[in-house]
Parts: sequence; C-alpha cells; structure tokens
Amino acid sequence: MAKFLLLAFRNVFRNRRRTMMTLFMVGGGVAGLLLVGGFFAFMFWGLRESTINSGLGHMQIFTADHFNRDEVRVLDTGIDNWRQVAATAKTGEHVRGVAPRIDFYGMVSNGDKSSVFVGSAVDPAAESSLGFRTYFISGRDLDPKPGGEVEALIGVGLAKSMNVKVGDGLTLLAMTSDGALNGVDVQIVGIVNSGVAEMDARYLRITLPSAQRLLQSDRVTNLVVGLDRTENTDEVAAELAPRLRGLPQKLVLKKWIDLATYYKQVRTLFSTIFVFLGVIAFFMVLMSSVNTLLMTMFERTREIGTMLAMGTPRAWIVALFMLEATLIGILGALVGVLGGNLLGFILNHSGLHLPPPPGNTYPLAFKVLHVPSLMIGSSLLVIVSLALASILPAIRASRLRIAEALSHV
Amino acid sequence: MEEIVNVEAVSRRFSLDDGSPHHPAHSFVSALSDASLRVTAGEFLAISGPSGSGKTTLLNLIGCIDQPTSGRILVDGVDTSRLKPGSMATLRREKIGFVFQTFNLIPVFTAAENVEYPLLIQGVGSRERRLRVAEALESVGLSARAQQRPDLLSGGERQRVAVARAIVHRPALVLADEPTANLDTHNATQLIDLMHGLNRRLGLTFIFSTHDARLLEHTERIVRLCDGEVVSDNSTEGGSRG
Repeated sequence: MAKFLLLAFRNVFRNRRRTMMTLFMVGGGVAGLLLVGGFFAFMFWGLRESTINSGLGHMQIFTADHFNRDEVRVLDTGIDNWRQVAATAKTGEHVRGVAPRIDFYGMVSNGDKSSVFVGSAVDPAAESSLGFRTYFISGRDLDPKPGGEVEALIGVGLAKSMNVKVGDGLTLLAMTSDGALNGVDVQIVGIVNSGVAEMDARYLRITLPSAQRLLQSDRVTNLVVGLDRTENTDEVAAELAPRLRGLPQKLVLKKWIDLATYYKQVRTLFSTIFVFLGVIAFFMVLMSSVNTLLMTMFERTREIGTMLAMGTPRAWIVALFMLEATLIGILGALVGVLGGNLLGFILNHSGLHLPPPPGNTYPLAFKVLHVPSLMIGSSLLVIVSLALASILPAIRASRLRIAEALSHV
Repeated sequence: MEEIVNVEAVSRRFSLDDGSPHHPAHSFVSALSDASLRVTAGEFLAISGPSGSGKTTLLNLIGCIDQPTSGRILVDGVDTSRLKPGSMATLRREKIGFVFQTFNLIPVFTAAENVEYPLLIQGVGSRERRLRVAEALESVGLSARAQQRPDLLSGGERQRVAVARAIVHRPALVLADEPTANLDTHNATQLIDLMHGLNRRLGLTFIFSTHDARLLEHTERIVRLCDGEVVSDNSTEGGSRG
C-alpha cells in the first residue's frame, strides 16, 4: 500500500509544469471560494453585530398579546410591570443590561408643516450602557435627566423635510392610551443617521418618561436585553424563558435572529449566491481536471498496458488514477487555503471599501474573515471534484486493451 | 519434460472495421493462421520471422494479453481460452514474466522498485520482497544500480532491469518481445548471455521473438513464422505447417 501511494505521489510530480498549472487552477478555485465566502462571512458578522448594536439587542421581551392581536390603542399590548420583568432579566448570567422601549407614532409639526413620525422612546442611560450606537450628523444624545424641555433626536431625512436643525423646536401630537389626542413641544438636540434612508425620513426619539407622559401610560412596548457576547444568546434565552413564565403577565422572549428580518433575507440571498459560486467552481475544476487527467492517461497508455500485462488488477489502475487525482486535490486545496488566507490578510490590511449598498448611506468595509469551516468545505469540494473528475480517465485506463496499449507510441 | 505451453491450431484475425457490435466486420487481416506449438519447461525458444509475420501476436496470445479467434492455448496446463479476464490477469501475474522491446519500466520507480512491482501486485510481504529483489538484481549484475531511476540507466541496463523484473516472481515462463531490438551489439550480446545463463542456471523457460541473428545463434530451437503461419520449427522433423 505504501509503495502504491508512493507511485501515485511520484506520478503526480512526473510532469511538474502541468501539475503546477493544475494546482494553481485548483488552488485558485479554493482561494476564490475562501475570499468570497470570507467576505460574505464578514458581511454577515458585520450586519449581525450592527443590527444588534443599532438597537435590536440580543433578545427582546414582549407580551404574548403583542403577537396575537393588533393594538386598538397605543400600548394596549404593552408590558405592565416592566420594572419587575427587567429586574428578572437582569439577574441572568451574561446579561449586560435591559432597556425599556416604547414604539409609537403620531404627527410632528414645525408650525408651518406637519409630517408623520415613527417614534421610539428610550432610557438613554440604559441604551448607552448596552453600547447601542447612534450616528449623529449633529448635536448630542438625549440627556437621561433633562431639566426643562422635552428633548428629541430626529432622523436626518425628517430634519430636512421639516427644515429644522439642532436647537429648533417641534410639536408632537399622538393618541394617548385612553384614545385622546395629546401634544408635547420638544427641542431638537441631535440629528441622527440610521443608515437607512426610509427610516431617517420618519424617525424621532424621545426619553421614556416623556413618551409615557405624552401617551398617558406607564407601560412599555418591550424590553431589550443586551448580552456580553452574541454567541451566548441561545444559552441565556434557554435560561431566561422559564423564569419569565413565572411572572403575572404572559410574556414572550424573542431572540435577535427572530426579529432581524433584513439580516435573514440578506443572509439567505448571499448564501444562495455562495452556493451558486461553489457549484460553478466545482464544475470548473471538474471539467478542466477531466481534460488534464485524460491527457495524463493518454501519455501513460504504454505504461498502463505494461502494468496490466504484468497482471495488475484493473481495479488497481482505477484506484491509482483516483488516488493521483485526490492527491492533486489535496495539494491544490493546500495551495488554495494558503493563497486564500494570504490574499485575505493583504485585503484586510488594504483599507478597501465598497460603495454603500442600496438603502444604506455608509460604505462597506472590504474585509475577509478566515473561517475554518469554509476552508474545510472548499477543500473537500475540490478534492471530491478531482476524485470525480478522475473516474472517467481511470475507467478508460483500466479498460485499455493490453496488446494495443503496449504498441501505443 | 513438463509441457509449459501448448498452442493448438490457433488463429488470430483483426477486424479492419471499428470493432463496434453495430458495425459487423466485413474485412479482416489475419495475423496468425492455424499455428501450433508445444514448449516444454526449460526451453530457450526463439520465434523468428520478418516484420508482420505474427511474432508479437503469437507472444501476446501465449502471454494471455490477447485471445485467439480460433484454436486454444494451454499455459502450464491451464486452457486460457476458457478464462475470464480476472483469471487471465492472475495467470499472467503468477506464471508469466514479460520483457518488452522498449523496456517499459515505470519511470518514477527506481530499478529496485521496478523489479519489486510484480511481487507487490502478488501481495508478497515486504521482507520477502527485499530479499528477492536483491537476488534478482544480483542475477542480472545490477545490484549497484538498484536505486537509480530508469532515465539514469543505459539501454542495456534498463533491459537487464526488465529481465530482473520478469524473473523476480519465479514465473513458469518468460516472454520477451524483440528484447535486443533497441540495444547495440555489445549490450545485445550481454543480454543474450544473461538470458541464456538464467535459462541454464534457473531452468527458466524463455520464449522470445526476434529477427536478430546474434540472438538466433545462441538459440537451440527456432520457430519461424511467415505471413502468420509457422513455416519451420527445428525441433520437429520438417517443421509444422499451418
């Protein structure tokens, strides 16, 4: 067996130039998959973390009613005893903090013009303790304990539409939880950019107490739970969910992945693209390798004839060719993994950026993650591809007529 | 003496069509016609004749790498016409050694590894293989060149490695197709002496095709072929005609 392996190994390097070309071809396929897959993995990671850190959090707690029926009035399906719920959630391991939120909507006016807003009421201290990032175009964040006027942050699109800047005032009108109309004057302290133009055209943020006064309710829409690491989400969710069941109000715990619709859509789309690229790479390696291996078989016709004449079982010839192809696949995969990681390292240090994706305003960093599962998967793909590519030449070699093969020139 | 080969009225025709079952062959070329031959153990037999006379075809048939169109061939008592391809491979592996005109050594193997190959495919253990390879290389005078690859050996040395490879598994029969055709006079003479010596010393049966007069001078029995027919055999009175 060792001699047989040795024979296969030496045969691989018999025609060095051709073997090198094949290795570069196979390695190129692997490196390409690693770069594309590594970039997609970076994109998924970046999108995941930015989705979580832009305010989604790792988990959110809602009432069960929130998903069972539409609200007739604002905070109709909100959490009553949210402070008790928050205290329960905070005791969990890996939990960094809990931030209460109210989602509401209404009309905003500058005196001359009115527009619809989509509001979010937050506890600024809790939000900042969870590391939720807000990108300011101008101004500052909400003061957790404002003195006089109600402070507000508005999206860059809304600011433009209402023709206001930091320091200007606006009036908010919203329905209270009793169904009455209520209003409040707010002072703009910051203009923010979420990166999504449609969102920024309607976005408004005030503090939780201000919103509760406006809406005449002590409830909150949900509680956002932030963890130390995203990877701990499942563990914490499994531990927290039973404890929430012991509270008076029926609550539901949603993990970030359940709420990140956009993330899931992007991931599905790019995963499909990656699978498609993988299939293309597989067939490219397969077809070009068949050609190379057939050429090899043709060149070694007399040698194969000699081996068969000496009584070598035909299955050995098939095994020899497949072994040689598999060795090329393994070596090509090594070349590809080394080359792909090296190119990835260079790209990661090049500072390259891609233009902002549709609907976003920030350019995308061009970075490549070094993903071990991707290296193993891509390597297996080309190794299997090479092994399959060798089947036809191997069978043809094993079926050679010995007398004809021996007279082959 | 024990009979090693018995060729009984063997013919071999080759179709001039593409051989596909959908295209019945209409025209043939007859490479061998009704040839008969008996070879006993320990013989040193030459098959002679001009190019195209059927020497290689006859050797291929005796060596079980081709099958006759009609007639039958017994090798060491086994009727090869009834054997399946796998059994023919086993017969070749165990009973026959081959020496080719162009040496046909495996270029990526050293001389020793080439000689070892027939033992490898027979599943002989590594220790036994080492001993027999050393013995075979010594018998052809190439112990010192054991670790050289074929491209570093001269033509004569390569053919001696090929002879060592043909005898290492102690076959009943060694078939050599024009073994001196690619050698100069000096190397050809050495090879002839070597084969003759092995025949006498080890009692190996050699059947080889040649039209090399130097080789024929050392051969007791010569079977002459012409146009696929056996025209003379100096072991039988008047020869056999087919």
